Amino acid sequence: MEMNKGTRIGRRALLAGAAVALAAMPAAAQEPPKPRQIVINASGGAQAASLRKSYWADFEKQTGIKVVDTSPVDFGKLRAMVESGNIAWNITEIGGQDGYRVTQMGLAEKIDDSIVDRSKFVPAAKAMTHVFSPSSYSTVIAYRTDAFPKGGPKNWADFWDVKKFPGPRSLRNHPVDNLEAALMADGVAKDKLYPLDVDRAFKKLDEIYPHISVWWTTGQQPAQMLIDKEVVLATGWNGRFYGLILDKAPLAIEWEGGILKSGSWIVPKGAKDQYWSFKLLAMMADPERQAINAMRLGYSGTNTLSEQYVTADKKPYLPLEPTNLSKQIWLDQEWWTKNGQAMAERWNKWMLGKQ
Amino acid sequence: MDKGADLTVAGIHKRYGQVRALSDVSLTVSAGEFLTILGPSGSGKTTLLKVVAGFETPDEGDVRVGGRDVTDLDPAQRNMGMVFQNYALFPHLTVERNVAFPLEMRGTPKAEIRTRVAEALAMVELTGFEQRLPRQLSGGQQQRVALARAIVFRPTLLLLDEPFGALDRKLREAMQLEVRRLQQRLGLTTLFITHDQEEALVMSDRIAVMDSGRLEQVGRPRDIYDAPASPLVADFVGESNILSGTMEAGGSVRLADGTAIRVTGEGPAAAPGAKVRILLRPERLGDAGDQPGAENQIAGTVVEAIYLGLSDKYRVRTAGGVELLARIGASRTARQYRAGEPITVGFHAADARIIEVR
Amino acid sequence: MTAGTASAGRSLRVAATERRAAFGAFLLTAPGLVFLGLLFAMPLIQLFALSVEGGTTEWYAKVFADGLYTTIFIRTFEIALFVTVTALLIGYPVAFFLATTTPTWRAIGFALVMLPFWTSVLVRTYAWMIILGRNGIVNRFLIDYGFIERPMTLLNTRFAVVLGMVHVMLPFMILPLYSAIVRVDPDLARAARGMGASRFQIFRRIYLPLTLHGIVAGVTLVFVVSLGFYITPALLGGGKVTMIAMVIEQQVREFLAWNFAGALSVVLLAITLVVFWLLNHWVARRVPPATGQGR
Repeated sequence: MEMNKGTRIGRRALLAGAAVALAAMPAAAQEPPKPRQIVINASGGAQAASLRKSYWADFEKQTGIKVVDTSPVDFGKLRAMVESGNIAWNITEIGGQDGYRVTQMGLAEKIDDSIVDRSKFVPAAKAMTHVFSPSSYSTVIAYRTDAFPKGGPKNWADFWDVKKFPGPRSLRNHPVDNLEAALMADGVAKDKLYPLDVDRAFKKLDEIYPHISVWWTTGQQPAQMLIDKEVVLATGWNGRFYGLILDKAPLAIEWEGGILKSGSWIVPKGAKDQYWSFKLLAMMADPERQAINAMRLGYSGTNTLSEQYVTADKKPYLPLEPTNLSKQIWLDQEWWTKNGQAMAERWNKWMLGKQ
Repeated sequence: MDKGADLTVAGIHKRYGQVRALSDVSLTVSAGEFLTILGPSGSGKTTLLKVVAGFETPDEGDVRVGGRDVTDLDPAQRNMGMVFQNYALFPHLTVERNVAFPLEMRGTPKAEIRTRVAEALAMVELTGFEQRLPRQLSGGQQQRVALARAIVFRPTLLLLDEPFGALDRKLREAMQLEVRRLQQRLGLTTLFITHDQEEALVMSDRIAVMDSGRLEQVGRPRDIYDAPASPLVADFVGESNILSGTMEAGGSVRLADGTAIRVTGEGPAAAPGAKVRILLRPERLGDAGDQPGAENQIAGTVVEAIYLGLSDKYRVRTAGGVELLARIGASRTARQYRAGEPITVGFHAADARIIEVR
Repeated sequence: MTAGTASAGRSLRVAATERRAAFGAFLLTAPGLVFLGLLFAMPLIQLFALSVEGGTTEWYAKVFADGLYTTIFIRTFEIALFVTVTALLIGYPVAFFLATTTPTWRAIGFALVMLPFWTSVLVRTYAWMIILGRNGIVNRFLIDYGFIERPMTLLNTRFAVVLGMVHVMLPFMILPLYSAIVRVDPDLARAARGMGASRFQIFRRIYLPLTLHGIVAGVTLVFVVSLGFYITPALLGGGKVTMIAMVIEQQVREFLAWNFAGALSVVLLAITLVVFWLLNHWVARRVPPATGQGR
């Protein structure tokens, strides 16, 4: 049933998308020559497959330009490419926390708003001058429902409460998100988080350390460990649990205190065929396509108009759905750009001190 | 030094899968005796040595040394000295350390080790080579080190596994005598393995001829040579003419070509009409003219003449088509024949002996 | 060699021939040298250049500045050492078995040793996660048969990291050991046994010295490669085990701190080379160059 519905929507979206694309296209005579292909570097896997179905396949059909996708996301490589002038990527995804940094370092072209229509995007996505964000994801609490028959944790304080919610836990082996989570668990108000009180955060992390059996490093680890009953509580990127929950796995997520980030795409500074790159991004700004992609991956579209195309059964699991959104905070990229390296060192030292 | 103990192997059987390596081998070596196991490769002689040394366990039978059953003892507990085919010297240890090895394993005090190693090296004339590594020695010297190492701990038994195979002829002959002298001086019971019959004849008190996992004959070298128990032994030890024929009344054997040969040499009795095989050693055959009183004379043609220095060797085809080997000693009077010349060979009836009756 | 003009002239000729042969050998290895030069030496030089970019030593100062990075270096060496010793203790008997068994068993044994070699490190690491997990095979077995009541923490520990790394590194230990052991004439062991040596003494006095070069080769290989691990410790250590390669990777990919990453790498390389040199120096003093049969 779900599949059937999905296909129908897909077909409708395709027609709608074609119309939008046609309308947005200026007279052919004014367009720069078409390249043979556009290379997009992204995080690969299921995500790339979904993006291809939702956006890129139609782009190929409409323009005749081939879309080649590569992976993984690599900030170091991006810098090397831009600095050497030998840029292999037309478009690349970057980490959600790197949007501010990439702008500051001058590694990205300004998004051409005359081609890419972001007028209806959520404020956080609209505000970024050099970063295009078609989707949002959130670091949330996930847990095994069978471990807590009387109801799972409702906030970060509950995550820290090992008496009320006993069992092994997992957090990411990285200061990002964890410092915010620790402060919220310690009672800091959501709108008073930044600048982070780092000492207080690490002190709160000291409390939970003995109960963390795994500090995860790769995105699929948290879901896998929950499924394997290796842990009963974990943090993770909401999309990693999305498909499992829809498939009736005994998992649930809690949006309260979720830490939102923007899926971030840029056109590298000095990349070739920028007109066509922006044309492709324009397609990724289309609300209906964003909705389709969101329903596949669990990462909300940033175009506020996309919400209406999401079916009711999927809404509870998408981060930008208004009720969910109201419970979460946006990660402060500026703060992390300034303090990231110092935090990583402090994190490493903290970790070593525990061994 | 201690005198060696006697060795008895009784009813030894050993199989590897379908292959019978040893079949009912029984043998006694008396104390101080030098016994050689002689046989072609694959005859089972090395397996027998391994059974005695303890590297192989027999399926049946037992091994006794000095009356003590050692069949189930580990090689380390048997106190036997062994020289391997390739010497098996420890390449990373000096000559001195190699020879000291068995003493160190026995926990002999350091001072005693030193004197006994020096003693053993003096015995094999290697004094002054103590600090050399094996690869800095010649083949003969390595051989001596191996020997010193095998006797330094006063073993009850000395086992030598074809130790001279890698040496050239001259060195080999010198070593053969040296080993024999040393063995006699120390009174060591010795089991020696070789496929070289000459070596066996030169060195041994007794020889045990082996084939296909069985002992064919055990005896003094002279007995083995002169009175081989079977055509196989005859063929393997020394050169031989083995002729088939039928026994006739009056002590003659008639060959297939009609020639009658008078046979009076010792051997198994055969009734007239029996199929027999007789042995003639080539050196007992001579030019008929130089063999006064020889009962047998056979005419033929020289097919091949080989000059060997001490003797001439002739391949002779008789009128009846039988081939004979004759070794005629070089003497001033001996006539030399060339290929194609007619010759009459003669031999005494006492030098022909029946070795098989069927 | 006896002295004399004739033999002197001959040895001159021999020397000339050897020189020609050496030159020929050089020509043969030239493509390999060029390859190594381009793909190995050049990046190394660039790495070093990065670490002192702008003529500063501040990055090196930072490596040794506070306890953080020196502690990580020490932890890394501890783990690599652990892995090496464990791999040696497991690898030697296995290599010995392979070198002394029948051809059939050798073929089977080698297949088993090499099998994990052909599977990706990631897959093998996940296999360990399944085996060692709280609900993994080991824990379930122990609980089902009543040996323990609650699952033991096997995964996400240093133990798991060492185990996973040993598994990955074992073939690198076994292969050099095998080639050393197989070259020892089995008659040496027989001879020693016949002279009264126990099994341990045969190992200690014969095999150990004669295979020392193989041991050093295996130890060096395993130790050096172990220093650079980062996937296995990250996944099996549950984030609680930090090795220097993980830190270098983080500096490069996350913080673009290439100068600092370069300095860390150069320090790692320098320590590795010192270890390598010490081991080789030590073995060269102990083992005569050719440990063949001396025949």
